[in-house]
Amino acid sequence: MSQDKSVIKGFALADTAVRGGQYVGNWRVFMPEVDYEKCVGCRLCLLYCPEGAIRADEANKPDIDMRFCKGCGVCANECPQKAIGMKREEEAKK
Amino acid sequence: MSEFDVMPGNKALAHGVRLARVEVIPVFPITPQTTIIEYLADFVANGELDAEYIHSEGEHSCMAMAVGASLAGARVFTATCSEGLGYMHEVVAQAPSFRTPLLLGVADRTLGWYWSLGPDYSDLMPELNLGWIVNFAETNQEVLDMTLQLYKVAEDYRVLLPAMMSLDGFYLSYSQERVWMPDQEVVDKWLPPYKAPYPVDPTISDKFPTTSLPPPLHTTYRRLFEEVLQDARKVIKEVDRSYGKTFGRSYGGLVEEYKTEGAETLLVTMGSMTTAGRRAVDKLRSEGEKIGLVKLRFIRPFPDLEFRKIAEGIKAMGVVDRMMLHGTRGGGAFQDLKSALYNSGIRVPVQGFVTGMGGEDIPIEDMYLMGRKTLQAAERGRVEKEVEFVEHKFQAAVKPVEMEWGEPIFPGSDGCAGCGTSIIIRHLLKILGKDTIIINPPSCSGVNFGAVVRVPWILANFAAGAAYETGVYRALRKKGKADKVYVTSYSGDGGTVDIGLQSISGAAERGESMIWLCYDNEAYMNTGIQRSGSTPLFSATTSTPAGKVWPGKQVRRKNMLMIMAAHRIPYIATASLSYIPDLERKIKRAAEITRAGEGLAYLHVQQPCATGWYFPAEKTVEIGRLAVQTGAWPVVHIDHGDFKIDVKPKELRPIKEYLQPQARFRHLKDEQFEIIQKDVQYDWETLLELEKRGKFPGY
Repeated sequence: MSQDKSVIKGFALADTAVRGGQYVGNWRVFMPEVDYEKCVGCRLCLLYCPEGAIRADEANKPDIDMRFCKGCGVCANECPQKAIGMKREEEAKK
Repeated sequence: MSEFDVMPGNKALAHGVRLARVEVIPVFPITPQTTIIEYLADFVANGELDAEYIHSEGEHSCMAMAVGASLAGARVFTATCSEGLGYMHEVVAQAPSFRTPLLLGVADRTLGWYWSLGPDYSDLMPELNLGWIVNFAETNQEVLDMTLQLYKVAEDYRVLLPAMMSLDGFYLSYSQERVWMPDQEVVDKWLPPYKAPYPVDPTISDKFPTTSLPPPLHTTYRRLFEEVLQDARKVIKEVDRSYGKTFGRSYGGLVEEYKTEGAETLLVTMGSMTTAGRRAVDKLRSEGEKIGLVKLRFIRPFPDLEFRKIAEGIKAMGVVDRMMLHGTRGGGAFQDLKSALYNSGIRVPVQGFVTGMGGEDIPIEDMYLMGRKTLQAAERGRVEKEVEFVEHKFQAAVKPVEMEWGEPIFPGSDGCAGCGTSIIIRHLLKILGKDTIIINPPSCSGVNFGAVVRVPWILANFAAGAAYETGVYRALRKKGKADKVYVTSYSGDGGTVDIGLQSISGAAERGESMIWLCYDNEAYMNTGIQRSGSTPLFSATTSTPAGKVWPGKQVRRKNMLMIMAAHRIPYIATASLSYIPDLERKIKRAAEITRAGEGLAYLHVQQPCATGWYFPAEKTVEIGRLAVQTGAWPVVHIDHGDFKIDVKPKELRPIKEYLQPQARFRHLKDEQFEIIQKDVQYDWETLLELEKRGKFPGY
């Protein structure tokens, strides 16, 4: 009985070490814009971001990775301070 | 004069079923079949088809309902494919001996052998030799025509056998083509209602079909059965001719020949690939090659006599198979054709091809190459390599991207914007850590998130999530790893409350120390929003549309809390993605309990679904919160029998606040809102009483 891995043929494998997502920022129609004056650093947006595309900076304020933000608006809807606004992609870029 | 419309194959099939005035339709969703049953649901919901439409809880039951209804004398239709057909298998094997002439639509899709939604015939393959009539369709028109024809064939007293109407998933099921619609009056005359010779109905007859025979009669009945199936060829041809006379379209029985006149070489194809085959033959003919094409229209009964006739004077045949009979070196049609010719004295080199597996396209160029290869065999008088696999190189479209910070789930998933389920997975994995194995019965999350989590994600079969989980858990326990690795399911509501319930119940009773997490979006979202056992009352889904006759879903959802409590497992909790600290606490408790080896921990988390409940994506968390505050989704737990309501509003908010933002409840009238409000109120008071009691009943 061979137990030498090199003789294995046609064995489909998945690998958790090389996994990852795709850039999905181009799905966006609306883009979140954070008003850092209003933000109090409660981290609710981090908790609820469906994509997990938000991390906290040193002041606990959101740092949104736009490569992964799909523009769903959950963060803006949940922000108790109304510190996140959703702007049309084109307007936000101006 | 009939009219035409442009429609996908699944709709053509549904129209065929409507025109045939089918009486009973048991259903269960699976891609790419689902839209067949959605169109049928629309017909029934709007009074265009008067049929019993049964929402089954899994394919095994679905086929059993079909056989039962046919036994009782109804004209029956159901549809499935792939894993669903595999799960039906046992009942599929039973149907022929009951002599039930029901029709099963199969929107072909690969089975097992690496998951794909695309078509190949590996799903049909295990069902071929059970005594069914099995056909392939090339066009959507053929799908509609054959639906009517097959009922007439199957219900003929010389046949009385079930039939599979197979159409290629995607290539036919979802592709739009021109389809001429026969007139209902003409169909009614041509296809009269089914009258079962011996229905199970004591008011009609003392006799009924049986499948119990003493063994000495088995061989005899097998012979008789085979004779019936062989004689069905005559009926198939007869019906095809009669259909042609009445409706102006006929296909020529078990095979259809294309440019075979004067041909010395033949390509044999089946299903939608035939059209590419025709174009390749056109090209080869224009290059002066004497080649033709035979389309295999029926694979059961296999047209062996037809092929013996066709093969005379032919120098070589090439069979293009979209299925593989593993262990025999070749495809199904290839092996059947070879054995059909063997004892006939005709010696024709038969070249086998296997291609298009998992739904890969079979383009005209490939057909052309296969034609050329077969021509070479004709020239040489023998085949070089008996079976050729026509393969293509694969290049991943985009390289996955790694995130700089260490979330347990990568961003950049395929999930819808605003999908709630990724919120649940993230918090689940944050607590369980990297030494976790996720068992996932097919669901949205498998498609969208399976590839973006940092832990092993095992795709289980739909009905067996908890059984896969048990196997993994027991092996790890045997190897002394039970306290090092968490085994958890990540299952939708379909895989929990419907088709998966049996295996969960077994695991709960045996006390397997693992976690079952159900993310409940209250319908089969992965197949496109069909109702599940967890869909609330009056909710409109694609299989319970609100129409002239139907008010949406007509029955209440299952109460999984009570069902699981009846198993007396150590931990049961409902949770919401809108209450993350509560959810996290519950995941932690579930982890503690399973690590201590105390038994199954069951978590049921509601997940508002913007796509399936029809509300704006940004409201995912808000809707979840409203569900809890209106009492539509009480957040509670039972820890070793101690019952507690975790989120207890002083007063429940009116249910309308929760239902109205969701378009799945758009059709509700005031009296229906009231019914739901009363339900919620009653359930809430029951929970309050239970909490007062402290111990949950049964513990």
